[in-house]
Amino acid sequence: MERRDFLKASAMAAATAAATRAFDKESHAADAPGKDDVRWDKAPCRFCGTGCHVQVGVKGGRVVAIAGDQKAEVNKGLLCVKGYHVGLALYGGDRLTRPLLKKDGVFKPISWDEAIDIIARRALANPAGFAVYGSGQWTIPEGYAANKLVKAGLTSNQIDPNARLCMASAVTGFISTYGVDEPAGCYDDLDRCDVVILWGNNPAEMHPVLFSRIIDRRSRGEEVTLIDINTRRTRSTAFCQHALTFKPNTDLAIALGIMHLLVEKGTYDKGFVEKFCNFRQRTEPPTLDGKAMTFEEFRKALGDYTPEKVEEISGVPAEKIRLLGDLFGRRDLKITSLWCMGMNQHTRGTAINDLVHGVHLLSGHFGKPGDAPTSLTGQPSACGTVREVGTLAHALPGGLVVTKDEHRKEAEEIWNLPAGRINPKPGYHTVEMWRRFCKPADQGGDIDTIWVQVTNPGQSLPNTNEIFYPSRKIPGKFLIVSDVYPTETVRNADLVLPSAMWVEKNGMVGNSERRTQQWFKMVEPPGEARDDCWQLIAVARRLFELGHPGMKDKDGNFLFSMRKDGREVPVWDFKHYYDINVDQQLFEEYRKFTRFKHKDLAPYDEYTRARGLRWPVVQQKDGSWRETRFRFARFDDPYAVKEEIQFYHSVTKDDRALIWFHPQEPAPESPDKDYPFWLCTGRVVEHWHTGTMTMRIPQLRTAMPQAYVEMHRDDARRLGISNGEVVIVESRRGRVEMPAWIDGRGQPPPGSLFVPFFDETVLINRVTLDAHDPLSKQPDYKKCAVRVLRKEPPGRTP
Amino acid sequence: MMISGLVVTLAEDPRQQTLALDALRRDARIQLGEGAGRKLPVVVETTTAEESTALVEALGCAAGVDFVDVIYVDFSGTSGAGA
Repeated sequence: MERRDFLKASAMAAATAAATRAFDKESHAADAPGKDDVRWDKAPCRFCGTGCHVQVGVKGGRVVAIAGDQKAEVNKGLLCVKGYHVGLALYGGDRLTRPLLKKDGVFKPISWDEAIDIIARRALANPAGFAVYGSGQWTIPEGYAANKLVKAGLTSNQIDPNARLCMASAVTGFISTYGVDEPAGCYDDLDRCDVVILWGNNPAEMHPVLFSRIIDRRSRGEEVTLIDINTRRTRSTAFCQHALTFKPNTDLAIALGIMHLLVEKGTYDKGFVEKFCNFRQRTEPPTLDGKAMTFEEFRKALGDYTPEKVEEISGVPAEKIRLLGDLFGRRDLKITSLWCMGMNQHTRGTAINDLVHGVHLLSGHFGKPGDAPTSLTGQPSACGTVREVGTLAHALPGGLVVTKDEHRKEAEEIWNLPAGRINPKPGYHTVEMWRRFCKPADQGGDIDTIWVQVTNPGQSLPNTNEIFYPSRKIPGKFLIVSDVYPTETVRNADLVLPSAMWVEKNGMVGNSERRTQQWFKMVEPPGEARDDCWQLIAVARRLFELGHPGMKDKDGNFLFSMRKDGREVPVWDFKHYYDINVDQQLFEEYRKFTRFKHKDLAPYDEYTRARGLRWPVVQQKDGSWRETRFRFARFDDPYAVKEEIQFYHSVTKDDRALIWFHPQEPAPESPDKDYPFWLCTGRVVEHWHTGTMTMRIPQLRTAMPQAYVEMHRDDARRLGISNGEVVIVESRRGRVEMPAWIDGRGQPPPGSLFVPFFDETVLINRVTLDAHDPLSKQPDYKKCAVRVLRKEPPGRTP
Repeated sequence: MMISGLVVTLAEDPRQQTLALDALRRDARIQLGEGAGRKLPVVVETTTAEESTALVEALGCAAGVDFVDVIYVDFSGTSGAGA
């Protein structure tokens, strides 16, 4: 058989297996693709938070093929257009291959030893002013190492990840409702629900494989009702039976309207509420605990949110609010809510998260397969590395926090630190960290060095004209960037470190459904590129050598000491980094933290065999390890033992969840006569985040080469703008130029615009607002006021 | 040469399905497999990766096609990505 025929046969076998499996859900998963001279191994996809597993084909030291992993429960062999091309993300022609130091405005190659020494000396000179800015794309061991370096070593707590920008409000929503973070349900809910409600969510583009899982059910003849609650029509809308387009920032009113109907019609689940819930209202200033309210007070507070009033506030017809109220009032249906950035990137992000949880709790649509409020994440390890490892500025691993004495004590014991080593004061959240980096020291700018890993804040921070670019003109501010490609952040850096990516290194990540996944290194990184985790350990070791006291544990040993056969392995020397499995060493230490909040993880080796396991993963009497699909539900969660539902981390210490009341409030910035449009930013199916990887994949770049501004036909006509015409989008903070797209893929209503943020030639975050939620500190990228200007013809004075 | 395995989800309407199947059969780059319900496995062979992407995009928008999932891709015969 010729190679071409073999490949075609393999492709057909894989597609047939997937088609059969999709049609007949009882059929068994097929094995990896056919074996020729290509070596196949498993890995989670590098891109979004869905957590699809792929089979990676390697030949001659290069990744040459990708197949959906038939054994993976998440994607059942399917992939989206990005996953399909993930292998090519390694092979952009401009990979960074050497450390580079900027001298007189020009990057000059330097050695790794010099680069590590420069970083260590910056940290040694001013440990409190040295910050690490990380990512939900850090692997779990990378984030754990960074966290330990900063919180156990430098003791400044100055570490925060880009996930602050994408899911911090989901975290505060879960903690304020259940007392502990992350969804109770999982993707299995999508196979069991009767109704899916998309709260400002566009999974057809952002989580296509999950969306395909729902659409597959319809193709098998099952009835699934999809309801899209949106601010613009998207690809997802086309599949939905109901589309409710609301005025930006009025989603709280919609949730309150549903609650109002449930209470007034008596269709709320009285038994569930009386047994498992308490009521809460906010305080001033707001806290995650709030203050208690009675059911009668709750009922009274909802009194203003009649369907007609909600229509007036939100623009959603009253009968559609009644439709939602009626659906939630039915016990015979199973309802899953999905959300992502639309609810989280919101100055009322915690509040709307609380309210959607509250709608489910009030109606009893919780704790049964198919009945779940489920937030999705945008990054492959926003859950694993940020929420579980605790790389947020206030957090410690395993759901612990630096502000609690007993939590610091536990961490000090696991890290073998002297008592009192860990600083009880949280570091700065992302916006504050960068704001202080953009101020001179004598004006409160007490952060003088930021080390960025695995993210691109020059493109993704909000309001970059104020919280990114000014730092580049202040003497003494030093920006270090570890990355794989030259990005907007890299171009603005003082020191650049070339990193290994994805299957060029070992890794572990945690997806949106509490699933921890693992892979092994399969190919070598290019040039001198090295693992991010090694970079962190090497800097820690250099600090140890320079005498930084925080780099020693209480016995005087190096903080990252790793031993094999009784002898220390010098993992800080890259020649020896793979003499031991560093990921395994760090993970086994991290595991000790996971028991405190019942987020138990299995030993590393269990993950090498599985396509991920959902925590808590608890050992059985026969020695096997069992994952948990439905948290807090006695039929599945080993820690729920008292009742059929037990919220065992309850804020009120009585095993009950909290149903919150948060009133509708205006946005911090709304359109006016000078800036008459709402601007919403987001993603597109072809590109992932800032396009660092996907814009280097020709197929994806060709499919979506440039950012654009979507606008309504009526607005375009009124302004005399034609399709494709380059226009200026301007806010009070900045302006960018881009072509207009009228009646494009997404269709905003009159008065609203949408711009994707993947394109480094259209830096839309020069325009956005850095106003953020008071609790989660997550900025609002979905709403600010802008105007659209036609470009004046050349030669004319504007 | 670029070879991909796809699953095409056909529309519910039998007339639309027929339209889609006719169009797929007319394209020499596409090899049809044995369908399971509305799920049709196909293999796409194109000269370049760009052509493959364009074809997959076009398939997703074609009459009688609800959804296209990509299952397998071999790009060992292409020159890889560029900057």
